[in-house]
Amino acid sequence: MIPRHFQITIALVLLAILISGIVIIRMTHKEEALTLQAAEVAPAAPMVGGKQEHIQLLLAYDEDQALRWRPADVFLPADRNLRARETLRSVLAQYLQMPSPHPLAKGADIKDVYFISDDTMIVDTTAQFADGHPSGILLEELTLASLIETLTANVPGITKVKFLVDGKERETLAGHADLMSFYQTAAVHELAKEFE
Amino acid sequence: MRWSNTGAGLAFVALCCALGVLIATPQEDSAAGSQAVSSGTPPTESQKRTPEFFVMIDPSHGGNDKGAMFSGKLVEKDITLRLAREVRKELEERGIEVRLLRESDIDVSLDRRAEITNEQRAGIYIALHAGRPGKGVRVYTPLLTDAQQAQAGRFLPWETAQSVALSRSQNVAHAVSEELKKKGLTVANLGLPLRPLNNIAAPAIAVELAPDENDAQPLEGQKRQNAVATAIALGIVQIRSQAGARQ
Repeated sequence: MIPRHFQITIALVLLAILISGIVIIRMTHKEEALTLQAAEVAPAAPMVGGKQEHIQLLLAYDEDQALRWRPADVFLPADRNLRARETLRSVLAQYLQMPSPHPLAKGADIKDVYFISDDTMIVDTTAQFADGHPSGILLEELTLASLIETLTANVPGITKVKFLVDGKERETLAGHADLMSFYQTAAVHELAKEFE
Repeated sequence: MRWSNTGAGLAFVALCCALGVLIATPQEDSAAGSQAVSSGTPPTESQKRTPEFFVMIDPSHGGNDKGAMFSGKLVEKDITLRLAREVRKELEERGIEVRLLRESDIDVSLDRRAEITNEQRAGIYIALHAGRPGKGVRVYTPLLTDAQQAQAGRFLPWETAQSVALSRSQNVAHAVSEELKKKGLTVANLGLPLRPLNNIAAPAIAVELAPDENDAQPLEGQKRQNAVATAIALGIVQIRSQAGARQ
């Protein structure tokens, strides 16, 4: 026979566990929502200055499964890192406007780029870039080919590119395109030609 | 008696605490996924012995990884599993042994898919996908640069294990594409650095069904799946002599 005071204690402990569990779950969800909201609104990287240049962007067009060169006027700094980042961001800006030839999720952006050697670049994207990317082999490959080709056309000397998502490695972009390996820009160039 | 009741009560409280912590802690998808693989796909007796030649069919995605989403509740992981079963039926009717990388709705990582295929020494590997945009069927072969192909040797780097089988993969893709065209389907051939194709040391291709809004036969339609499955089977039958080095 369990004493009455002990039964009351157990009941109170269980109630406390239940309430704290609910509070923790609610707080976690609220924090996640706030983080996502903030990330969608705030730019991933500060705006940079530089000289306005007339450059070519290789853009994906979902409707006819093609990549096409399009001119754009973009402010590009002299610094190689910043130039690479702004070049990539100008491609994403085209996909984020309405109507979009290749729609990406709101908040898709380039957080930063790093050269780990003269010819090898790491591109760090926002979580929304991958989390909200439409799933499909072709859709994902078109995105990556468009970014890599535009990058190599405007920032010479890059032979290998790897993508991170929010600072971390990810297996695929949205279930298909490989994000673990380094992309050889020469191979991507051959691939892009098939879609041009 | 009172002590044993108190002990039981304390044990109950401890159990509740553990339960509370579990409820409040988010679960790791990857951990759950690997558990599903190890417990969900124990090798059967027929899988333990290595046959002379068999085809590994990979219904892509599964579990939490739904793949592409289509109209209604249609998701890629379900389409690929249904198509995989259809391809197995067609191949077995033609006397070719088949293994499926997943038989149910479970998570299997891309690396694990390649590991299983390489460990079991598959004769041919075919990954099945479904996705926008476009129409018809797309047949993908692995893409390796010249430098990566030159790495082929006794020990294969994981990232370029496909280097020993690239030309045979292209032959399989060609044979399957020709059969798909004979069925009146629109076919596109592409080379892509698609995982896990590059990690597989056997002829490997991926076949992707594209939904065509103007097509009378929808993506999940039995008639269309039958046509694709039959074409894949006929393509493999044709190529078997070239691809089955261990045959």
